[in-house]
Amino acid sequence: MKPEITVVVAQGPSHDPTKRTREQEIADRLSGRGDWEVLVVPHLNDLRPDAASLAALRQRTGHLIVFSWLYPRAAHWILDRHRISGQRGTTRLQLDTDGKPSDEMPSDPQQEPVERVIDIRTVPTRAIYCIDLRACTSADAVLQEVERILTETGKSASRSSVAASEGNGSRPWRSITDDTQRRWYPVIDFARCTNCMECIDFCLFGVYGLDESDTILVEQPDNCRKGCPACSRVCPENAIIFPQHKSPAIAGASSSIDGLKVDLSQLFGKPEPDQHAKQIAQQERDQQLAASANQSSSSSSTVPPSQDAPRRDTSDDTSDDLDKLINALDQFDL
Amino acid sequence: MSDSLVFMMGQFEATFPTDRQYARNHMWARQQDPAYRFGFSAYAVRLLQDVYFLDWIVDPGTPLQPRQEIGSIESKKAEASLYAPIAGRLSAFNPELLDDPSAINVDTYGIGWLFEIQSPIPDLPEGDAMSGLMSAQQYIAYLDEVWVATQRTIKGQLA
Repeated sequence: MKPEITVVVAQGPSHDPTKRTREQEIADRLSGRGDWEVLVVPHLNDLRPDAASLAALRQRTGHLIVFSWLYPRAAHWILDRHRISGQRGTTRLQLDTDGKPSDEMPSDPQQEPVERVIDIRTVPTRAIYCIDLRACTSADAVLQEVERILTETGKSASRSSVAASEGNGSRPWRSITDDTQRRWYPVIDFARCTNCMECIDFCLFGVYGLDESDTILVEQPDNCRKGCPACSRVCPENAIIFPQHKSPAIAGASSSIDGLKVDLSQLFGKPEPDQHAKQIAQQERDQQLAASANQSSSSSSTVPPSQDAPRRDTSDDTSDDLDKLINALDQFDL
Repeated sequence: MSDSLVFMMGQFEATFPTDRQYARNHMWARQQDPAYRFGFSAYAVRLLQDVYFLDWIVDPGTPLQPRQEIGSIESKKAEASLYAPIAGRLSAFNPELLDDPSAINVDTYGIGWLFEIQSPIPDLPEGDAMSGLMSAQQYIAYLDEVWVATQRTIKGQLA
């Protein structure tokens, strides 16, 4: 009989040895238990719809606990897009330290409740717990959390049987490999999406479409222009996630999270944060449009300037980028 | 190797070969007809330390505006987005780095090169701060200006 809980460890795309070690440690630490099985799969973002990993996950209809180097919202809705759906479980292993569940929309009591796509959809009752590997600094804490989830979902084996099976190594983790290449596309958080159609109106590349019940969906993810997160900025509900975007707000973080590493973007030429989201979005989209037009007629080598994008101020040559960075640090909306 | 100039980052000697130019975003540039080849300067590599991951978000052939975002990098010490140092058409990325970016640390001025850009500007005006390139000497003068601020920034973020 298959265990009713599957623990998934999704590897990151990076060569960072500390990340690889953490994946390995967690898989090892959680293996050898009778209460759950452990699957190691490639980076969730890069899996194609026909990936063996996804087929294996679709076969598991019990609860899932998914560890990945992605924000939990991003991981959850990537899986959902691949028809691996369930109720979102709340994990105690979170990146931020204030103890609140970080993924909830700030609720405004003045506001009329809005109907979200998730409210009109049937979602299986099984739970999916997505856990950010960046929050898993200790393998012991991870084991504790998985045991806690086991209890929470009511599938708990007694403590003694857990202890008895410890260390016998009878169920080593299983690794599923897929040929992956880096992918770039949006996923929709249907707990936020109101089906307003702003994204389908805005995107010029045919990424979005409608399903048979006229609900928005990411129909052609590979039409998306690499690096362009413009539709995410126009979404009034912040429901569009680009799992691979550098900015936490776009990559699926929900509250302020400070990276553990220094951000040197300004050093490498990041423009000042002086533009409104909508302007940035139009500029990004128009750059992509110009780039694709340019590729089809390769005679011209210059980018036509966008009609509605603001001209970047180039008169500040003499001022110091890094001084500006210091001033800008206060305004970072990370 | 040809001559190089040195900039002291604390105890660390960052060296800059004089056989090439430098961009304000801490990349070196070397003309390799018909394109300019770019890589990280020793200054950038020292701040990054071991590079673990490099990702490009544009395809070869893409026309670039100066400071257009083109990718991102993750290293032992830092994460950063990367931006076009000059305008032009991106002609190639170093394919070796996609699987294993460690050449950036091993040989930043050689096999650790990042990408090539064909520039529509035949002669880049020297030292034009936004889009142009500097000599090694000019670059070191620029580093002198920004070094204190850079340290403040990094310490500020780590605090």
